[in-house]
Amino acid sequence: MALQHITLQVNGSECEVLVSSTETLAEVLRDKLGLTGTKIMCNEGECGACTVLMDGKPVLSCMTLAVDAEDKDIVTVEGLADPLTGELHPVQKAFVEFSGMQCGMCTPGMILTAVAFLNENPDPSEEEVHRAMSGNLCRCGNYRRITESILAAAKEMREGATVNG
Amino acid sequence: MVSEFKVLGKSTPRKDALEKATGTARFISDIQLPGMLYARYLRSPHAHARIRNIDTSRAESLPGVKCVLTYKNVPKRHPMRKMEFLLDEIVHRPGEEVAAVAALTPEIAGKALDLIEVDYEVLPVVVDHLEAMKPGAPLVRESGKDNIYRGSEISKFSNMDEDGYLKLGTGDVEQGFAEADYIVEGNYLTPMQYNCSPNPRSVVCDWAGDNLTCWGDTQLPLFLTKELAGSFGIPESKVRMISHYSVGGYGGKTPDKTATLTALMAKRTGRPVKSVFSRGEDFIGTHHRISYDIYHKIGVKKDGTITAIYSKIIAPYGSDTGVPCLCQSIAMVGPCNMMYEWKNSFAESFGVLTNMLGYGAMNGFGAPEAIYTVERLMDEAAEKIDMDPVEFRFKNCMRYGDKALEYPQVMNGPRKWGIVGPDLDSFPELIGKCAEQADWKHRWKGWKTPLAVDGHKRQGIGIGIGIHHTTFGPASAIVKMNQDGSATVLSGAVEIGQGYGTALCQVVAEVLGLNYEDVNATLADSGATPACSGNVGSTGTSSPMRAAKDAAESVKQQLFALAAPQLDTTVDNLEARDRKIWKKGTDEFVPLGKLCFTNWQITGSANTPPYWTVKDEKSGEVIHAYAAAATIVEVEVDMKTGKVEILKIVAGHDLGRAINPVQVENQIDLGLVMANGWVRTEEFMVDPKTGVILNPNLLDYKLITFLDMPKSEDVRRFYVEKPCAWGPFGAKGFSETAMTALGPAIANAVYNAIGIRINDGMMTPKNILRAIEQEQGASK
Repeated sequence: MALQHITLQVNGSECEVLVSSTETLAEVLRDKLGLTGTKIMCNEGECGACTVLMDGKPVLSCMTLAVDAEDKDIVTVEGLADPLTGELHPVQKAFVEFSGMQCGMCTPGMILTAVAFLNENPDPSEEEVHRAMSGNLCRCGNYRRITESILAAAKEMREGATVNG
Repeated sequence: MVSEFKVLGKSTPRKDALEKATGTARFISDIQLPGMLYARYLRSPHAHARIRNIDTSRAESLPGVKCVLTYKNVPKRHPMRKMEFLLDEIVHRPGEEVAAVAALTPEIAGKALDLIEVDYEVLPVVVDHLEAMKPGAPLVRESGKDNIYRGSEISKFSNMDEDGYLKLGTGDVEQGFAEADYIVEGNYLTPMQYNCSPNPRSVVCDWAGDNLTCWGDTQLPLFLTKELAGSFGIPESKVRMISHYSVGGYGGKTPDKTATLTALMAKRTGRPVKSVFSRGEDFIGTHHRISYDIYHKIGVKKDGTITAIYSKIIAPYGSDTGVPCLCQSIAMVGPCNMMYEWKNSFAESFGVLTNMLGYGAMNGFGAPEAIYTVERLMDEAAEKIDMDPVEFRFKNCMRYGDKALEYPQVMNGPRKWGIVGPDLDSFPELIGKCAEQADWKHRWKGWKTPLAVDGHKRQGIGIGIGIHHTTFGPASAIVKMNQDGSATVLSGAVEIGQGYGTALCQVVAEVLGLNYEDVNATLADSGATPACSGNVGSTGTSSPMRAAKDAAESVKQQLFALAAPQLDTTVDNLEARDRKIWKKGTDEFVPLGKLCFTNWQITGSANTPPYWTVKDEKSGEVIHAYAAAATIVEVEVDMKTGKVEILKIVAGHDLGRAINPVQVENQIDLGLVMANGWVRTEEFMVDPKTGVILNPNLLDYKLITFLDMPKSEDVRRFYVEKPCAWGPFGAKGFSETAMTALGPAIANAVYNAIGIRINDGMMTPKNILRAIEQEQGASK
């Protein structure tokens, strides 16, 4: 299988990797860059666990070829916290505080989907959260706390935005 | 009221929350080791076949392939109580492993699988359990005289009769039925369900000399340690089993033969090997919730007294199971003999082998399946005597002092009934509170009267109750103090998502007067942690956490002994709080950090006491460990599409004491969501001719999503805290009980809505529409 040399922008860093044309972004992130925070739950685009942000939009990294991610800005769960202060993203903070996880396997995908959603809709209703998140499966059935976490993060982000002008 | 506790009963954040929210929590499938090889498995396309010839030469010569295993070069060994071998020349179900390959990359391993040539002699197949019971049916196991499960070489049951039956009863059911005013009976088929761990089966094995380290994604690490030690003929001290973090298993999550095959490939190649199943492989290659073909008969008097219940459970086993007879035994004890104040009860059961994937443990482990049916027939009994179904249950449900038994006694050895303890007086309270919170008095309009009718949409309301054991079994724990006065808990139990590590630290902090942040745990690492049977049967809170509490008490006594002379007093005049040991009633203290600043290790260890030593103070009877639940649900059924929507849920739970209320509610939610999927959306489709699973993916197998539960405000959870006699601070495991009551409540609510009982399957649109059509056909 022919390998090619590509450069990915992941969490603000340039990463050079050798990939085959069939390798997915999820595989490259996990196996070649060691970013195992991106989880593979179904590997066929049905569960949302592998969600990462590509140019700010949520994508299923198991359904995205690594070669198609070249020159795109990729953010994984490892890249959400402030790189200088280590301060968590408000969505992460809310998941910790409101117990938005049980086993934790779906958590990174949930958090990234929520981050993208809140950027689009900073003041959502519960129903809007449910609709936006409906492609992310949680086998532990923790939907209520995840919803609570997202709504709390939205509030925090709105108030933060006001305070910071 | 001021809480008597400092840490207990508080919703402290999960110990693992930060790791899980930042992606740094390392799961078994995340492990990467230098030089690691990747394993893949070739699986049988046939439900039953003999391998005439298997040629691996092309696969072995593919560059990058380091090891190929077939039945020809692996030991003939039964993995984990199963009848099958690690690899065999006869396959008994579609998906059974035929060969294993370890290679430099998963892609190469996958390619190698394609190069293995297998010549199968296809053998006769039987998939339906009723067909399998007929004389002359194809034999699933060549050694059997028929397909009835009668135990095996490695699993024997002293209480099983020669026809494969297990039987359990009290009183005289014939007499009971003779005393009844009415008899109701029904035959039910309960649905299978895929455990669907978010992390498909994962295991990594690495040898250093003859020392094996296994990272196993399992909730049964002790079993797996024994299995590997036995497989390789090494002492258990040479196996280090690490199961941290394991990922939501929902029952019996263990990589049984996969771990042994992985370790074998690692040994043969001298390199670490990792096996991670694909989602589809996990679906067809692990196990599913047992399904019952179950018949109940209930005798009832006009005044609502139940005179007898008889249950017969046929258990389709599939081709094999690692937990033979366990589910049935659990069903026969709790749901079929204990759940109500039945004076006369009798249950019997046997298993039938077929050529499809076998069952295994899943959330509830045999109980919810029987409760799903008992609770529907109880509803019919209440209707027969025109009694309110809530009142009927309130009158008859099990209470303190009623008979109870440990389920292993169904299978083996003598049986000695004990009782349920004072904690089970929660049952009527749960039912009452549930009714109150659901406004049952106004919402229930009487039998044959739907809650509401709006065009082709009908609403119904229904109740279900449930019980489950909360295993009080052997487990140990060690608490060791660190030099700064903080404490580390060593526990062989697994943090699998249920919040065990969090509640464990709360319990130990409470005993030692430490802050929650001062106590942390090392879990499920056999190199450091003491024995624990694992996290199955809702045992985590009941058993290993009880051991940890006792270990912490032991530490506290040692600290008191050290502090007493320093404070010029005796040990009985001391108390531990705020990280200090205080002389009671004074402002004199010694900080724990000062007491522990020594190179002598202050350590406490404890084992759980045997269950038969936990006795009722009043009667002296042995108390058995059970928990109860009640649920009322409102549904809406679309008579045109057959779709059932869940509108409102009120779920009440009995848990002794809530150590961490938020985690308690999350575990309740897990049960509710899983039960909702089990009876409505998670249809497990098997081809009746070939035994092939038709929907092994998350698109066609529908898990519950954000959109399938009622709005947050319409799900109410509450719990009753009546301390139990065995768990830490009176707490007990309840997480499986959380799954028991919603399923039948939904079925009963659907009946209230549409006036038709659906006994032979799930509440899917297809089944609802079929039932409506049949009813309309019959009434024409």
